[in-house]
Amino acid sequence: MGGFYWIASYPKSGNTWMRLMLASLIEGGAPPDFTKTMGFASAAGAVTDMDLFLDVESSDLTPVEQAELRHDLAVVTAAAATGPQFRKVHDWWGLTPAGRPLFPPQVTLGSVYLVRDPRDVAVSWAHHSGLSLDDSIAFLARPGAVVATAGRWKDQFEQRLDSWSGHVASWLAADPAPLLVPYERLSADPAGVLAQVAAHCAITASDAAIMNAVTVTRFDRLRREEETHGFELGQRRGRVFFRRGLAGGWRDTLSAAQADRIVQDHGPMMARLGYI
Amino acid sequence: MTPTVDCCAAGDGPADRTLCGLRVLSDLPLPELRPWTGDDRPADLRIRLGDVPGHLEEGLAIHPLVQVAPDGRCRFALAAVGAYLISSDGREVVIAPAPNATGDEIRTFLFGTVFAVVCHRRGLLPLHACCVQVGDKAVAFAGDSGVGKSTLAATLWTRGYPLLADDVTVVDMNGPGGPRVLPAFPRVKLWRDSLERLGRSVDGLGAVRASLDKYHLPVEEGFCATSLPLAGLVQLEKSRKVPAGIRLLPVTQGLGRLNMVLYRPRLMLRLGTQAQQMAQFLRLLGSVGGLRALRRPETPAEWDEVEALLPAVVG
Repeated sequence: MGGFYWIASYPKSGNTWMRLMLASLIEGGAPPDFTKTMGFASAAGAVTDMDLFLDVESSDLTPVEQAELRHDLAVVTAAAATGPQFRKVHDWWGLTPAGRPLFPPQVTLGSVYLVRDPRDVAVSWAHHSGLSLDDSIAFLARPGAVVATAGRWKDQFEQRLDSWSGHVASWLAADPAPLLVPYERLSADPAGVLAQVAAHCAITASDAAIMNAVTVTRFDRLRREEETHGFELGQRRGRVFFRRGLAGGWRDTLSAAQADRIVQDHGPMMARLGYI
Repeated sequence: MTPTVDCCAAGDGPADRTLCGLRVLSDLPLPELRPWTGDDRPADLRIRLGDVPGHLEEGLAIHPLVQVAPDGRCRFALAAVGAYLISSDGREVVIAPAPNATGDEIRTFLFGTVFAVVCHRRGLLPLHACCVQVGDKAVAFAGDSGVGKSTLAATLWTRGYPLLADDVTVVDMNGPGGPRVLPAFPRVKLWRDSLERLGRSVDGLGAVRASLDKYHLPVEEGFCATSLPLAGLVQLEKSRKVPAGIRLLPVTQGLGRLNMVLYRPRLMLRLGTQAQQMAQFLRLLGSVGGLRALRRPETPAEWDEVEALLPAVVG
């Protein structure tokens, strides 16, 4: 019997960076290999997992059936595993249409929730998705927002994000409570945060391995690797995945009115997290 | 009591059809299957409409969709479509359709997971693959959902390669002459955008599910209705990071991709047929000279290249 560590976040909040760090750490600090598809912590909403573990052609299922069966997929996959599984998550911490948890507590070994200043998220999401800054800001404010919209075949199921504030609120209230990892702290002290995440996920790691993992996943290094080998993870075709990786980069990109709108949309949650 | 619903109104007596070389007698109309033209044998597979218990007595509920009883009976169910009970010898399937299910929906899962259970029970090996005729032999293209099997099947079909199967290729490993592909039925399931890329409209096509933009494309002309020796097994790959063209994989990689090549591989574990199916798969790999891989063609030039490589695959 296995179980899951969910590496969860709203998109563009450091999820891939964290997973690259953890993947490296588990390999004793080995550098990421961008010539291969990333194998560590695949998406929790991956269609092929449902085909395999629930014995059904999931692309013949309706979006509601798919959403409902994700609870069962987690339970069955955990039962079939012999050890802990890591999964990337962009869904909010929510319920299936019949009211069962998408991330069942009984198979959750732990969760890591990465959060980032929504002003930086809005800029990064605009670049990633090809939306204008204004549309990206509106997307972050939209209750019930989804990604991987159902309707034709995708390799991931439709995932409900909700608004940025709704996403954060759902995970802060998750059962069991996640380890909260602000992107800004990860950026300022990657080794310290990685050590904390590793401990939360019961990964035994030496200080040297942590230092190695941090070094080989420095942002400039990931960007160089992407320039050489490419890195495809859902970004709009032709755009780079690893862009700037700055905390506070919004200041030279958003207009004052745009930044103000985000604060209006998400003020209470931004205040709760210390962003304003 | 036998449920009667519009989707399942049969005409005079059960339909007498053929699927993968089996004689199928069915209370449920099966319009995509060709009529049985073989000998006067009793039905190999009987499909009835009737009641299916919600829980098999002492049934092992593996997950909400599948139960397996200690005596080998297997139940597959999807609330909006219906419940299916497969006998332990794979000779009978009882279907209890859900009230508003369409015939297309009921047959979608009948020809998917349910027929896979029938195959496992009858000692046949179902591959997650489409299959076309090349010369006088068959080549199967395997891969996960969404990798492009149906698009490949339909494209090769439009280029003159007769189709044997779309999503599930059933292989008979029991004959003396090596693996043979048993032809399925002349239909391909495609999403609207894939159909439109092939220059086909969805007008007049039946939907796989009432609420999905995915349709059955009939391919009556150019369907190969006779079994053929399987000469090549090729796994489709979506990643653009692998080289173009068809390449032979090392033996260990071929074995490692079992889950991507077999159809519903975990059913083997549920049904207890894994020893037999694994042995069959190993023999199959041996007789086709190993698993090959093909980067999914996307441009006309890449399709031409695949076509040029096919004769070498069948040797």
